[in-house]
Amino acid sequence: MSNHLSRRGLLGLGVGAGGAVLLSACGNDGPNPVVNGGGSNAEPAATSYTGPNVALTFWNGFTGGDGPVMKSLVEKFNAANPNIKVTMNVYEWADYYQKVPGAVSTGNGPDLGIMHVEQVATNAARGVVLPLDDLAASLQLKEEDFSPPVWRAGVYNNKRYAIPLDVHPLGMFYNKKVMESAGLDPEKPPTNNDEYMAALEKLKAKKIQGHWASPFPFTGVLQFHALNWQFGGQTFDEGATKAQFAEDAGVKALTWLVDLVKKGYSPKNVAQDADAIALQNGKAAFNWNGIWNINTLKAVKGLEWGVSALPQIGTQKAAWAGSHNFVQFKQKTTDQNKLTAGKVFINYISQQSIEWAKGGQVPARKEVRDSPEFAALKEQAAIGSQIDNLHFPPSVPGIADAMATIDTAVNEAILGRKEPAKALSDAATKADQILEQNRKKYGG
Amino acid sequence: MAATQTVTQTQAAAAETNASPRRRGPGLTPYLFLLPYVAVFTTFTLVPAVYGLWISLHDWDYLLPGKPFVGLANYGALLDSASPVFDFFWSSMQATGIFTVTSVPLLVVVPLGVALLLNRAFPGRTLFRAVYFAPYVLGVAVIGLLWRFLLDPNLGMVNAMLGAVGLPADTPWITALPWAWISLVGVTVWWTLGFNAVIYLAGLQDIPAELYDAARVDGAGRWAEFRNVTLPGLRPVLVFVIINTILASANMFGQSYLITQGAPGVETRTAIMYIADEGLRSYRMGSAAAMSYVLTLGLMLISVIVFRLFREKD
Amino acid sequence: MTSVAPPPPKTGLTASVRGIAWYTVLIGISIVFVAPLVWMLLTSLKTTGEATRVPPAWLPEDPSTRAYDTIFAGNTQTPVLRWFLNSMVAAVGQALLVLVIASMAAYALARMQFRGRNVIFALIIGTLFVPGFVMLIPNFLMVDRLGWLDTLWALIVPGAASAFGVFFLRQFFSTLPRELEEAALIEGANAWQIFTKVILPLSKPALATLTVIAFLTNWNDFIWPVYVLFSPENLTLPPGLATLQGAYTTDYPVIMAGAALASIPVLILFVICQRYIIEGVSRSGLKG
Repeated sequence: MSNHLSRRGLLGLGVGAGGAVLLSACGNDGPNPVVNGGGSNAEPAATSYTGPNVALTFWNGFTGGDGPVMKSLVEKFNAANPNIKVTMNVYEWADYYQKVPGAVSTGNGPDLGIMHVEQVATNAARGVVLPLDDLAASLQLKEEDFSPPVWRAGVYNNKRYAIPLDVHPLGMFYNKKVMESAGLDPEKPPTNNDEYMAALEKLKAKKIQGHWASPFPFTGVLQFHALNWQFGGQTFDEGATKAQFAEDAGVKALTWLVDLVKKGYSPKNVAQDADAIALQNGKAAFNWNGIWNINTLKAVKGLEWGVSALPQIGTQKAAWAGSHNFVQFKQKTTDQNKLTAGKVFINYISQQSIEWAKGGQVPARKEVRDSPEFAALKEQAAIGSQIDNLHFPPSVPGIADAMATIDTAVNEAILGRKEPAKALSDAATKADQILEQNRKKYGG
Repeated sequence: MAATQTVTQTQAAAAETNASPRRRGPGLTPYLFLLPYVAVFTTFTLVPAVYGLWISLHDWDYLLPGKPFVGLANYGALLDSASPVFDFFWSSMQATGIFTVTSVPLLVVVPLGVALLLNRAFPGRTLFRAVYFAPYVLGVAVIGLLWRFLLDPNLGMVNAMLGAVGLPADTPWITALPWAWISLVGVTVWWTLGFNAVIYLAGLQDIPAELYDAARVDGAGRWAEFRNVTLPGLRPVLVFVIINTILASANMFGQSYLITQGAPGVETRTAIMYIADEGLRSYRMGSAAAMSYVLTLGLMLISVIVFRLFREKD
Repeated sequence: MTSVAPPPPKTGLTASVRGIAWYTVLIGISIVFVAPLVWMLLTSLKTTGEATRVPPAWLPEDPSTRAYDTIFAGNTQTPVLRWFLNSMVAAVGQALLVLVIASMAAYALARMQFRGRNVIFALIIGTLFVPGFVMLIPNFLMVDRLGWLDTLWALIVPGAASAFGVFFLRQFFSTLPRELEEAALIEGANAWQIFTKVILPLSKPALATLTVIAFLTNWNDFIWPVYVLFSPENLTLPPGLATLQGAYTTDYPVIMAGAALASIPVLILFVICQRYIIEGVSRSGLKG
């Protein structure tokens, strides 16, 4: 009996990986016509929910300017789906991650949520989020629909727990006026190490410190990661059993940042946010910052700025990125209707993610990224051009604890307290210990 | 005179008979007075504190089904130099120690001075009291952010103003030692001076003016007055302030987290910062609880010493 | 016959000089104290670009109420007035609860003789040394068991169990002269009457101080509410105002504006309680 019921729920979305399903929203919940065909030429899988009215709660950390953008998407969804009502709650990200596990475990949790991709494995291991393989399958979502690194990052223990909404990579923001004042072409920002160092020299000649090296996670550690990958390195090995950021590539990456200070291209003792503020005030020319900086700079009156992909300092192109992902939360009692309706919601927002991109994001969905509307968003598109060169942390529970050791290493090195190689190797020793501790705790 | 004496004697006799049932024993009264508090206390403080001890004997994550009993392993890890937590824990304890030792004397003595000043009557006194207390009205989240910005070595107001008067304008207030400690202690004194001052003020009210008058008649100067009247009268309040300040300093984490972010390196990462990270971000509550109880033990030892020093000599 | 220096003259040039020096010192220190707060207030009237201008400026060139408008935008996601009310109920509720239960317990511990007194006091003080966050998860589970999650009860009751109030008042009660209690005993008063008619009136400074402290601690608490409050309309000011922040950027004007608004009730409370804190002066005469 229960088997039949659950299959009926699945029928609402379509069963099996082979077929795209077209449903009519006519309110009967009998079996629906199945349309065959698949692949990228088929009509996009439009789905709707045909069960009884449900109310869903959707929590995320989109405070400030991002909130209203997502809110309006939610409202559009509610209008298009009269039998689903989604309410969105917003909390500061730090509060959100503290709050959600407790809420879920006491039955106060939401149905749907957003998580950063590196948090998914930990929450999956702690039983906070549910597997989404059936969602991916029924919606025919595949690696090619997104981008391989971000798609793969949502899998833990061979199960998929996350569907990517966006990626938010680093970009190189530059102050056009400052560049001009040093004789640099503001429409041709540097794209490789030689050009970059030449530009910094020219700036230094005009007494401008071109690239402020931040010793803090935002943005120093993010820059370190990008450079490490650019020099061909990795953060961890495939199964996250060993730290690899202290090897040659990592040392080169960190040394490059430390040299910015040594060579005078950056002041010493750059505090939190100072590098971004410096760019806004014409005290720096370049700032490698996240895509979220777009909205910040747009709000600064009179600032002439641009953004491009990160220059290739190392042997290959690479950039750091985070990624917001959809998740579904464990409930005290399983309500199949709610789960189904939730999947419809996820698919809808994912397909509408051009609106989300306008708010300052790079959509994870390839078809949205390749659309002319996205190309028209110049800044986002510039940063989004790095999509094939993004790396994400291994999907291992507790990975963030091990990565915190890198924060300390970058801090010690850029503040001139330890040599880069030593700082990194000390951190790697600690990281290995933590990785092992986590293996014992979470198993496997 | 005689009439009064008789009245007093009658009263005393009455008191004898009335009071004697009470003199024989306190009965239930004290326990009734204690009951409401003890009920709430047991539920929300005592039981969790004891439960915390229990947690410290396990590898405990409240969302993972298995919470294996590990005995004293969490404590042992704190003494084993090869464990992942050893150096982080002890460096964080050192940070807490440095902060406590440098901030407590300032936070105990300076507010006392301020309270004595503000205890005299002069026009505008209430305004000044509000001024010294005002910073504490703000939460740590705000003052942390505020001071991080003001103390920015390159862009902050403090260095800008120092530069304007010809002093060095590049002191690394929040990114290098010993400046980071100076900044943290300075900000904490600015923030919480009013708190201790207000407590001292309340305490000063309870010292009878007659004692001061008597001292003055005896020819005591200001300092003698202070030593012989004020300090003894303040003794219980002083004990409170000292112990509370030690506890507050030992539990400091907001200022470190927001102003220096534990930097440089992890030099200013205090014990609570690290412990909270271990318990609430890495979800290793058993280990964090063990660390907490080691800190607790240290604080208790210190407080016993303080209590002893200030014990009533009668 | 005295051989000490005469008290300082109350009139004359020396007095004026002392007076001026006195005020100069006080005002000088006050400026240092107040300057950051003034900067905070001025920044709340700036635009984000102005707030992070280099070199830093005191006055906003282009004063705008954008930060306050953002806070009071008044949509259902950010019901600031509701948060304010929640914070008020929670803080007042907890302060009152603390006053009642802690004063009773403190009096028993300070003045009554009974079996187990020292043990109970030691136990209560002992928990002061346990870092508060150890009790976070156990309290969360307890509050869930009681059905108080997402309600103001979770904010009022658990925190009132802190040993701070009992320790504080016990020390103050022990400074009170015993003669007054003994006189009342002789007149046949019972413990409750002594407590309410003798001890409490004499302890107004301490009680007023504790009121302010307990109110403030609850008002500014930003950790516990994160765990126990879920619905947007049930939040208190600290976590609520945090949702007005950008996810990755620091909006200084909005933070400062929120802080300014949140500090008003506390300052008012402080000024009101000041009257009781200095009331003791009229009882025991001017000191100085």
